[in-house]
Amino acid sequence: MSLRWFLVSLLAVLGAARAAHAQERPYFVTYDHYLEEPGNVEIAVANTTGVPRAEHAAYNAPWLEIEYGAAGWWTTELYLEGVTAGQDGSGFSGWRFENRFRLFKSEHRLNPVLYLEFEHVNEASRIQKEIVGSGALPFEPIDALRRDYANELEAKLILSSAIHGWNLSENVIFEKNLSESEGIEYGYSVGASRSLGGLASGRTCYVCAENFAIGVEAYGGLGSSLERTLSDTRHFIAPVLAWHVTPRSTLKVSPAFGLTDTSDRYLMRVGFVYELPMRWRR
Amino acid sequence: MTRTLVQSIAAAILLCVAALHAEGLAQARSHDDDWLAPSKEAARMNPLVAHPDAARGGAKIFEQRCANCHGDEGRGTSKAPDLAHADVQAQTDGALFWKISTGNSHARMPSFSYLPELQRWQLVLHLRSLQP
Repeated sequence: MSLRWFLVSLLAVLGAARAAHAQERPYFVTYDHYLEEPGNVEIAVANTTGVPRAEHAAYNAPWLEIEYGAAGWWTTELYLEGVTAGQDGSGFSGWRFENRFRLFKSEHRLNPVLYLEFEHVNEASRIQKEIVGSGALPFEPIDALRRDYANELEAKLILSSAIHGWNLSENVIFEKNLSESEGIEYGYSVGASRSLGGLASGRTCYVCAENFAIGVEAYGGLGSSLERTLSDTRHFIAPVLAWHVTPRSTLKVSPAFGLTDTSDRYLMRVGFVYELPMRWRR
Repeated sequence: MTRTLVQSIAAAILLCVAALHAEGLAQARSHDDDWLAPSKEAARMNPLVAHPDAARGGAKIFEQRCANCHGDEGRGTSKAPDLAHADVQAQTDGALFWKISTGNSHARMPSFSYLPELQRWQLVLHLRSLQP
């Protein structure tokens, strides 16, 4: 089967399950104030490819994300993640249970969302859904890193605004390792994005401006309560692109560029999000 | 490894319990009498009112974003109200635009401020075409 026919078939299958989809943010790290619609389930598969600065091996860190709109003000998610790093090995790197709570009933100029997450991840974790604290990633054989598990609590204050067609989001991150005394680690992420569409056409289209969103995000660590310094912190800047392939599915891509010597040289993130068809009856 | 798997399964079960509980919450349709557009917002005019052809795009967005909860014809489901109802149709274009834009998390109405403003006005045009 040719690639063209494969893509056409894929679009037909995905498009067959018609009806509503929630806003899928184009960001990989930054959160905005839009939650999953209540009762909806979304499944995402994504991957972070990292190219370190030194002679260390490049790695791939895939993850699976299941998101559920528990209520209009509450979205809950489960993550399962893994890693593979060439000759350094491969393996499961842990799970995360995340909850986001919208604090206000309606939209305001600045919309706060509270984020709480429990993580059970090992030192091999490379998905970098958030970056906190300081120091480079450890580069040892994956098997060795996987022996060192940590239970961590993470909280974020998400602030997000919709201004003249743009989304502006700011996240402040606090992370506490419950397994070791590392104090509280800090991090940040900020993002700006917008849809490329204006008036929606009356016809179904796949590759048209209204189905694309672009933006940029920046994220990094801010030290910890024990190390009040920004030296050895990792920071990235990352353009983001989201393509709403069908009303239910979104493809996201984001190359990230390391800004400090501690950061990996590049990250390449790719994700595919699919919202399960759930119809409500009268 | 076994311990990790057990913990993963426990987390998945926890998620399912939360999901089942929340599905019950989501089934119940609620009405929020306090959800009123500010007068300044309610007075806004639809810039597309002289472009009825734009309603076709509104119908498409409605099918993609709204029909899941409000039904294909907008006549409501167990999850969301009938948009052809007189209470809805009596509201001004500006009020409908404001409600689409801001949402109401207490009544399980998402906010659609991420849609370009013109697309939200297209939705308002489409809502006007819904017949009781």
